[in-house]
Amino acid sequence: MSKGNRGRDRSAAKRIVEQQKAAERRRRVTIWTSVGVVAVLLIAGLIGWGVIANQNKGDVDTPSVAVDDGTAFAVGSGPVTVDVYEDFMCPICHEFEQQTGPTIAQMVTDKKVTVRYHPVSILDRASNGTKYSTRSAGAAAAAAVDGKFIEYHNVLFENQPEENSDGLDDAKLIELGKSVGLGDSFASAVNDKTYDSWVTQVTETFSSRGYNGTPTIVVNGKQVTGPNETLPTTEIFTQAVTAAAG
Amino acid sequence: MDLRQQPSRLAAAWPWISTLARLGLAAVFLIAGGLKVTDLAASARAVNAYDLMSYDTAKVIGAVQPFLEIALGLLLLIGIATRLSAAIAAVLLVIFIAGIISAWTRGLQIDCGCFSKGGELTGGRTAQYGLDILRDVGFLALAGILIWKPRSKFSLDGVLLGER
Repeated sequence: MSKGNRGRDRSAAKRIVEQQKAAERRRRVTIWTSVGVVAVLLIAGLIGWGVIANQNKGDVDTPSVAVDDGTAFAVGSGPVTVDVYEDFMCPICHEFEQQTGPTIAQMVTDKKVTVRYHPVSILDRASNGTKYSTRSAGAAAAAAVDGKFIEYHNVLFENQPEENSDGLDDAKLIELGKSVGLGDSFASAVNDKTYDSWVTQVTETFSSRGYNGTPTIVVNGKQVTGPNETLPTTEIFTQAVTAAAG
Repeated sequence: MDLRQQPSRLAAAWPWISTLARLGLAAVFLIAGGLKVTDLAASARAVNAYDLMSYDTAKVIGAVQPFLEIALGLLLLIGIATRLSAAIAAVLLVIFIAGIISAWTRGLQIDCGCFSKGGELTGGRTAQYGLDILRDVGFLALAGILIWKPRSKFSLDGVLLGER
C-alpha cells in the first residue's frame, strides 16, 4: 500500500467519526429538547389547574333571601315554577322582558306562577373590561336583600347599556336603585361589590345545569324555547305554563 | 442545468417556508390562548357548550387549555423540538376539529370558542361550522409542513445543532 492511500483511509475514517459525532449530537439535542417541550406543557397545564382550583376557595356572600340553593330570587307564590336565567347586558333578555315581561307580571299577580330569577354574568367580555354583567347582577342581589328585586330588575332592563360599551358605572347603578326606593345599604353593597362573587357562583350553577345562553326560560324543570332554539314567543311561554299547571 | 437547479432551489427554500409556517402557527396558538386566558370561567363555559363532558370536567379543560395554547405558541416561536411541538399542535387541532364536527352533527348552535370565549349563540347569529373547520384544517396544514420539514431559520433547534 502506498502512503497516499493510507492518508485517504485515515481521512475517510475521520469523516465517519465526525458524522457519527454529529448524529449523536442530533440525537442528544432531540431528546433533551423533547423532554423540555413536554415539561413546559405539563407545567403550563398545571398552572391552569392551579388557577382554577384556587378560584373556588373565595368566600361567597350568599344573599339571605336567595332561593333554589341560594342561586335565585323568587317573585310571586303560584304553583308553577318558572326559572329565568338572564344577563342584564343581554339584548335578547331585554327583548324577552319587553315581549313577555307584562304577561309574567300578570301571572304573578294572579298567583299562577312563582318566578325564580337567576342573574348570571356570561357577557362580562361585552363591557370593555368593566364587567357590567357581574356588577349589575351583584347590584340586583343587593336590591333583592332590601326587598326590591323585581323593581330594580325592571329598571336595569329599561336602562340597558349597549353591548360592547362600558356599561353603566356603579354610580349610575346606585342612582337607578334610588329611583326605585333603595337606600344607603344598597349603595354600600354596590360599592363594596358584596355580591359579585356570588354572581360567579350563580353563573357556575347555570352552566352546570347544562344551560349556555341567555335568556334561558325553564317552566317546572322543562326548558322552553321557540322553534330552532330561538326565543319563545309569549304564546309559547303561556302554553308551557298552562300545560304545567295541568 | 436548469432542471438540476430547480430541486436545489426548492431545498434552499424549505427552511424559509418552514419558518413562516412555524411563526404562523405560533401566532395562532398565542392569540387563541391569549384571548381565553383572561376569563377562564368563560373558557370553561365555551368547553361546556360542546356538551361533551360534565361541567366540572369542562371547567378544568377550559382552564388548562389556554395555558397549554400559550405555552405551545411560545415553544413554536422559539423553535424548540419543532417536529414534536408541531405534532402536538396537530393533535390539538384534530381534537378541536372533531369537537366542531360533533357539535355540528348534533345540531348545536354554539360559537366554536376557537378565538373567543364562545358559548351558545343567541338570536339571529348562526354557527359557521364549515368556516371554522376550514380554518382549522389550514392550521393543520401549517403543522403538517413542520412535521414534514421541521428545519427552519431562527430556531433554537438550529442553534443547538450548530446550524447557521
